[in-house]
Amino acid sequence: MKRVVERLLTPALLIAVACAAVAGAPQRAAVRAEDLLVSRAEIGRPGGQLVINQHAEPKTLNPVTAVDSVSGEVIKNTIADLIHVNRETQRAEPALAKAWTMSSDGRRYTVTLRQGLRFSDGDPFDADDVVFSFRVHLDEKAHSGQRDLLTIGGQPIAVRKIDQHTVQFDLAEPRAGAERLFDGVAILPRHLLERFHTEGRLADAWGLSTPAAQMAGLGPFRFKEYVPGERLVLERNPYYWKADRSGTRLPYLDRLVFMPVTSDDAQTMRFQSGEADIASKMTAASFDVLAKAGQAAPYKLVDLGAGLDYSFLFFNLNDLGSSKLPDTARKQGWFRQVAFRQAISLAIDREAIVRLVYRGHATPLWGHVPPGNKVWINRSIPQPARSLDRARQLLRAARFSSKPDGTLVDQRGDLVEFSIVTNAGNSERVQMATIIQDDLRQLGINVHVVTLELRALVDRLLKTHDYEACVLGLGNADGNPNTEMNVWLSSGATHLWSPEQSRPATPWEAEIDTLMRRQLTTLDPTARKRLYDKVQELVAQNLPFIFLVSPNVLVGADKGLGNFRPAVLDPHTLWNVEELFWRQKRSSGTP
Amino acid sequence: MRYLSRRLAHGFLVLAGVSVLSFVFVALAPGEFLNEMRLDPRISPEMVAALRDRYGLDQPLPLKYLHWLQSVVRGELGFSFAYDRPVAALLWPRARNTLLLTVPATLAAWLIAVPIGAWSASQRGRWPDRVCAGTTTALLTVPELLLALGLLVVAVRTGYFPIGGMRSAAFAELREWAKVKDLAVHLFLPASALILVNLPVLIRHVRSSLIDVLAAPFIQGAHARGVPPRRLLFRDALRAASNPLISLLGLSIAGLLSTSLVVEAVMSWPGLGPLLLEAIAARDLHLVIGAVMCSTLFLLAGNLVADALLYLSDPRVRADQV
Repeated sequence: MKRVVERLLTPALLIAVACAAVAGAPQRAAVRAEDLLVSRAEIGRPGGQLVINQHAEPKTLNPVTAVDSVSGEVIKNTIADLIHVNRETQRAEPALAKAWTMSSDGRRYTVTLRQGLRFSDGDPFDADDVVFSFRVHLDEKAHSGQRDLLTIGGQPIAVRKIDQHTVQFDLAEPRAGAERLFDGVAILPRHLLERFHTEGRLADAWGLSTPAAQMAGLGPFRFKEYVPGERLVLERNPYYWKADRSGTRLPYLDRLVFMPVTSDDAQTMRFQSGEADIASKMTAASFDVLAKAGQAAPYKLVDLGAGLDYSFLFFNLNDLGSSKLPDTARKQGWFRQVAFRQAISLAIDREAIVRLVYRGHATPLWGHVPPGNKVWINRSIPQPARSLDRARQLLRAARFSSKPDGTLVDQRGDLVEFSIVTNAGNSERVQMATIIQDDLRQLGINVHVVTLELRALVDRLLKTHDYEACVLGLGNADGNPNTEMNVWLSSGATHLWSPEQSRPATPWEAEIDTLMRRQLTTLDPTARKRLYDKVQELVAQNLPFIFLVSPNVLVGADKGLGNFRPAVLDPHTLWNVEELFWRQKRSSGTP
Repeated sequence: MRYLSRRLAHGFLVLAGVSVLSFVFVALAPGEFLNEMRLDPRISPEMVAALRDRYGLDQPLPLKYLHWLQSVVRGELGFSFAYDRPVAALLWPRARNTLLLTVPATLAAWLIAVPIGAWSASQRGRWPDRVCAGTTTALLTVPELLLALGLLVVAVRTGYFPIGGMRSAAFAELREWAKVKDLAVHLFLPASALILVNLPVLIRHVRSSLIDVLAAPFIQGAHARGVPPRRLLFRDALRAASNPLISLLGLSIAGLLSTSLVVEAVMSWPGLGPLLLEAIAARDLHLVIGAVMCSTLFLLAGNLVADALLYLSDPRVRADQV
């Protein structure tokens, strides 16, 4: 048995009645001792509100059914999980679970819950809520976004209550880093949602028009008010289960105000003028405009370096068979040659992409794990510099040749030309495709750039396979290989270059399949890292994706905001929202 | 009355036609609501299939339309996939906000356009008329998007106006008069953008209709008999020119509505614009149709008002009906 000792709960701090009084929670004659988690961040001052801009409106407050990122951004502040991935250290930490143990075969997790905790409506929290929450997340009919992650070896995780404060989880097969699965799995209030779940109406619960009194969570904030199209307000949860070192209950802020602001420009201007206090996921252009104000600006800008997103070019390697796309099928003769893909990769000027598209705020990539992923990156992946000569050599060896006017032809004398599709709404991707077009022209390859609206593009990529090459991006949500299984397994639905293969099309895809499945069940972290290192090598050698860059994470906040410690992992700026506080606030904007 | 009922029946037909057309267009557009989810490696194809089933995305088009009609009868106007809610509940608050922006903007645009247009007509060929023509031409060439962004830049530089939105974050805590002031301050920039975009068209129309009338013999005659020019212009000539101008009112509402979609999106005004824009990108079928229907309804209502005014002001229209 491996005992995971809680690191955050320093000298036995079971702050009870005193703490409840400080935070203004209703005092009861005999308040049970609360296992509060003590934050080690700087001690702050209570009060104030934080205004946050979003690109669209939240759609729901239901943590089970929410699938869009905008709703997710709001909901994350209202929920808590048993074990949480610290966005700064990228490691799993105790949250609602005070501690947990894993059995030696890696299949059983026993979780001890914090005692005396309450939901944001004052109702007590215990093991029944945990069992109920997992029942909901695992229910096929509830359409929980978490269900697939909690299904292991084809079997849903079995959850059993041992006593009021202990829950046992049984996995069908050992799963490496299984504690990370608990991250983001919201613990739901059984007293409010069980009725909805039994009646099969869970999707109807907790919409934006639900009265605040009918919602509750364990997160630092709770729902207060929603004005359609204008704002969504969360208020401080007086029962939150974290305190600072002086015994003040967190969070410090009274309110979070989310406002939908569709355009990037308007968002930038609102941040600049102090009408929004925090800016996440800024574009490089906005970042540079705001940076012009220099040190005198009332806000602070941070370039966190490469994030977990990566962009890439890939070719259509689907088995088109006797399809209606004879032209694409003919070009696949080139696309399938590793040498061809390597030559393309060598011809692409990644530095130019960093400089021109991202104004320096990006990192060139040669593998799928960006440097922002500190734990998993394989630093021995070669990073060949751009070389048109070597690209030409590779092409010549693959029996391509140049005509006198410089255009490239294959061995049958056909001109080498293809189109790159990308999504019209993403100007960075369009610019990258255009730079690639220019780079490849120097090899004598004629490239057309075609932009399509994202949803139409997905139809082509995954359904009709009617495309030749594509520039796209993916992001790894928590930096862990397990969330990318569907990208690298040849049977995966997001194995973009040739999804849902009945059996691996190439030997290297078969090898990646084996490695990915093995790392899933390998419990020793070093052995697991070795397996994933090998996957990264295979991908970099065979280039199903030709990696381009990883955009840097660009954020900003008002200078008066204390404990602002943005992280590369999402949510970049609000991951420690309970610790944020106002030192002082600039006068313009909202009071 | 017969005139009115005929206009109403006509409006109803237009609505039905718009609903069928927008249904077909949205349904035929490549891609569907769940496609973005397909790109998320954490979501399995089984889950996407289950959701397709739930939203009825696999049904044939006529059946989808029938289901939508049923929900229209129930007063729900369909069901938004993204919001997991009936469309009607999403539309009304936003439609109200759009009206809050466009109605004052329409009134203001007319109140400004009529005197300027009339004055410009009376000064025909002289320098005030030329300045006016130059300014309106310049305004006509500026795209509405640029105009809205330009006004936002002014707001940032001066700090006099909020950068978009309809109310401050602290609106609920304000007193009554402060609430009105807050709303007015927020309204100013988007309304200005709308007015500036539509003003040149209105001024030019007012001017040209008045020029026609001013050249008419009865005005010349009145002028010769010594009727004061200002009274002549604003009382007699304007009344005579009202017929084409009232017809223009209906058209101007259409122009304002389409401009307001852009302005709302840029200025974060919580109206139909941002909602429709996002719904189209997300292929949220019923929400797109709902928002389009809502805009069509405004347009028809505007035209109906114009028709009614025309009916009241012009005896010839009434005579046609008898």
